[in-house]
Amino acid sequence: MNPQPFLRTFTAPAVLCAFGFLLALAAVLQFSLRAYVPGSLDPGGFTLANFTDLLKPLYARVFFDTVVICFLTAVSTLIVGYPLAYALVRTQSAVIKSILLVIVVTPLFLGEVVRTYSWIIVLGNNGFINSVLLNVGIIRQPIQFMFTTFGVVVALVHVTMPVMVIMLAAGLSHIDRDYQRAAESLGAGPIRVFLTVTLPLSMPGVVAGVTTAFAWTFSAFATPQLIGGGRVNMISNLVYQLGFSSFNFPFAASLCVAGLALTIVVLSALRLVARPLENIGPH
Amino acid sequence: MNKAADRGAKAPHGSIAPHAEGAVRFDAVTKRFGETTALDGVSVSIRQGEFMTLLGPSGCGKTTLLNLAAGFLGPDSGEILIAGERMNDVPTYQREIGMMFQNYALFPHMNVAGNVAYGLKVRGVSRQERDRRVEAVLALVRLTGFEDRTPRQLSGGQQQRVALARALVINPTVLLLDEPFSALDKNLRASMQVELREIQRKLNVTTIFVTHDQSEALSLSDRVAVMSEGRIRQLGTPEQIYRQPCDRFVASFVGDSNVLRGRLHSIDGTSAVIAVGIARVKVPREPLKDVAVSAAVDLFARPEHLVLTEATQPCATSGTIAAHVYQGGYVDTYIGCSDSLRDRLLVRSGGHETMARWPIGSLVGISIVTGEGVAFA
Amino acid sequence: MPRSTYQRLLGLIGKLAVVLILGFLVLPAVVVTIAAFNDKAILSFPPQAWSWRWFAKAIAYQDFRDGFRNGLIVTAWSSTIALVIGAMFAFALHRYRFRFKKTLEAVLLSPLVIPHFTVGLGFLILAAQIGWNRSYAVVIACHVVLVLPFVLRSVYVSLRNLDQSYERAAASLGASPLRVLVTITLPLLVPGLVSGWLFAAMLSFNEFTASLFVTAQRTQTLPVAMYNYVREFADPSMAALSVMYIAATAALIVFANAYLGLGKVLNIEQSR
Repeated sequence: MNPQPFLRTFTAPAVLCAFGFLLALAAVLQFSLRAYVPGSLDPGGFTLANFTDLLKPLYARVFFDTVVICFLTAVSTLIVGYPLAYALVRTQSAVIKSILLVIVVTPLFLGEVVRTYSWIIVLGNNGFINSVLLNVGIIRQPIQFMFTTFGVVVALVHVTMPVMVIMLAAGLSHIDRDYQRAAESLGAGPIRVFLTVTLPLSMPGVVAGVTTAFAWTFSAFATPQLIGGGRVNMISNLVYQLGFSSFNFPFAASLCVAGLALTIVVLSALRLVARPLENIGPH
Repeated sequence: MNKAADRGAKAPHGSIAPHAEGAVRFDAVTKRFGETTALDGVSVSIRQGEFMTLLGPSGCGKTTLLNLAAGFLGPDSGEILIAGERMNDVPTYQREIGMMFQNYALFPHMNVAGNVAYGLKVRGVSRQERDRRVEAVLALVRLTGFEDRTPRQLSGGQQQRVALARALVINPTVLLLDEPFSALDKNLRASMQVELREIQRKLNVTTIFVTHDQSEALSLSDRVAVMSEGRIRQLGTPEQIYRQPCDRFVASFVGDSNVLRGRLHSIDGTSAVIAVGIARVKVPREPLKDVAVSAAVDLFARPEHLVLTEATQPCATSGTIAAHVYQGGYVDTYIGCSDSLRDRLLVRSGGHETMARWPIGSLVGISIVTGEGVAFA
Repeated sequence: MPRSTYQRLLGLIGKLAVVLILGFLVLPAVVVTIAAFNDKAILSFPPQAWSWRWFAKAIAYQDFRDGFRNGLIVTAWSSTIALVIGAMFAFALHRYRFRFKKTLEAVLLSPLVIPHFTVGLGFLILAAQIGWNRSYAVVIACHVVLVLPFVLRSVYVSLRNLDQSYERAAASLGASPLRVLVTITLPLLVPGLVSGWLFAAMLSFNEFTASLFVTAQRTQTLPVAMYNYVREFADPSMAALSVMYIAATAALIVFANAYLGLGKVLNIEQSR
């Protein structure tokens, strides 16, 4: 008797899919090692020039900026998202929980362009914030939010919030309430309970959230493109410009490869840092 | 200690020899999970129409044996036969079994009729015939009129009966029950047990019942296989395993028991006499085969076979009343006694006047009803 | 339960913080809605006059209409394909043991951490090299890969929550493995499958970065069309479109929450 009757049928399509995906990645890798032929879409012969070019300060700067933006976003999202996740999990009322859930989850499905566009209207010189502040008289000149790193990060935080809140909430919901009650019965006040019981036990969720936020932000394109306007560049924007403005696909490919390596390095580093933290959490 | 295991494998206490044709037969079945041996060369033959219970603590292998009969697992060695045919390589859905699961496993997306008819549909039974048989079996389990209810709308006891009906309607060669009553409360359990037995007798279907509840095993079964650590310790009728346990494990596991220190006094044919205090208790000779006279032995006595007497009277042993536990129909009295292996004795008596007569703390004598009891070295 | 003033104060501060954060989350949506009804062409606050005309223009705009249509085609195909592949593989992942299982799982889940621009560039180059040239097929293939991890996760969680004793009961009643799959497993998995499909569809429809790379003028999806519009024009048509987007998505989420229980799907709900 066959204990695994559908093995072939069920895994074959997945294997095909994985294969196709790996081919696509291989294509990027292959192009990164080929020379750029200006004016032509076809690449030239094999070379490492694309990677050595990356070391130029211009590009190194973009890498650095990208990492900084990702970290800023991840940390800010954590700080802003944690209270929301906590409220989501601890609310007794099912109605409030539903409302919170809808508000948190909906932006996730709006897509980058809609959300980024909305922020343009909020942050622009004629936008919401500036109009309100000007009308009320707090400022005399519009504050420049667009084309700044601050503006990009604010919008990115907004974009990353749903994911962070969901991961945090998932982690928090797995904490048995009895731990909190035990601490209270032993005399701990609410802040102490939070710092010594809830927060440590929520670490797995925190780690998952920060890691995902980082990876998500790294992939962001529309937000830095539209709000950064060419002045704030992440790796994603550079890849697009190289590919579609200069048609320098080989170099764009090498950026992708380097970016991937960077992601792996940072995520692994995050994992290492997180391991002792994760062990605190419930299993 | 292998004597008991051999007994289970070769000539089980009080059963027919395993070579005879049985509805279900296990021949030297072994099953391992990694390092653990769940079943070690287990052999047992179950007769047509018999209600056989596999009884034992968790981890003893009883559920594994049931799952082997069902086909959810395959044995590492040995044979499994149903109606004389070798089943080792036959998948579950081709064995003619009916099974009742611990959590009933009623299909939540079908109503009662759909659930019960499922096995018939699979077998290609015509709609008319299906409806007829579903109606008949629902009448058998006294759930007529419940066809359109969903499992969620049923009580625990009703879900039970639907699960039973579903398993019976296909006329299985053997019915397998995996601790089906463990989730029910006491009263419901008792009435379900009676119903199950009546139905089983009426249909004369071979049944293998798994439980860890020894009182359930005693009340339901034609025969019981007491298992521990992957082996059958004793195979016999309920009376046999209760009154003539073949080893310490069976004696302690089945029913309540007291253990008193005594001496082998004399041997008298197939019986032996154990001395405890001034008492002389007759026990089966078999477990003490290789024991010399005046050697120390342990006497197992049931709580109902101990009697409280005045401490001044000559008796088997004495002790101090520690507690009375009123059980309604009888009283359980706990006595601290240094002759007991567990430092305590349990005496069960009918009337509640026991509580008045022997207040807590009073010194009391114990005498043993002779002719009952078993001793081991 | 009795609470001290201190606890009450903390609770109030907490609630205030949550309200502020919610305000932050909702701000763009509110602002964009106000802007969409602005009669004037220039984005400014506060609007002097109100009008529906940007909504009319957005609906009539050909690029948006084409984008919407293309998006539906791509989404329908990619979510369905991803559902089939993902559900089957999730089943094998959960129940079976086989060689390279972990590797295959890692590869199929990797799009979660690989930037979309890399995936997009990869499919673009691959398509060019095998001559596919930015047809629908490339876009669909790319979306399948991107959306598959979510389907995989969703179905896997459903399988994990499925009590296998139902399948065993069916087998004991004589049903072959195929029959068990069709009559028992699949019906009981429907909520997980539907939510997986829905999740995939919404993500695919809104996917932008990779689509920007792999779509051509005639296959461009709605997000790409919107992006192109924003780069050229500054009138509130985009705002109107955004409002319609937000309204539709919110409605879908509310529906999904009511019927499928988002809490369970996202693994947030747990017994207390």
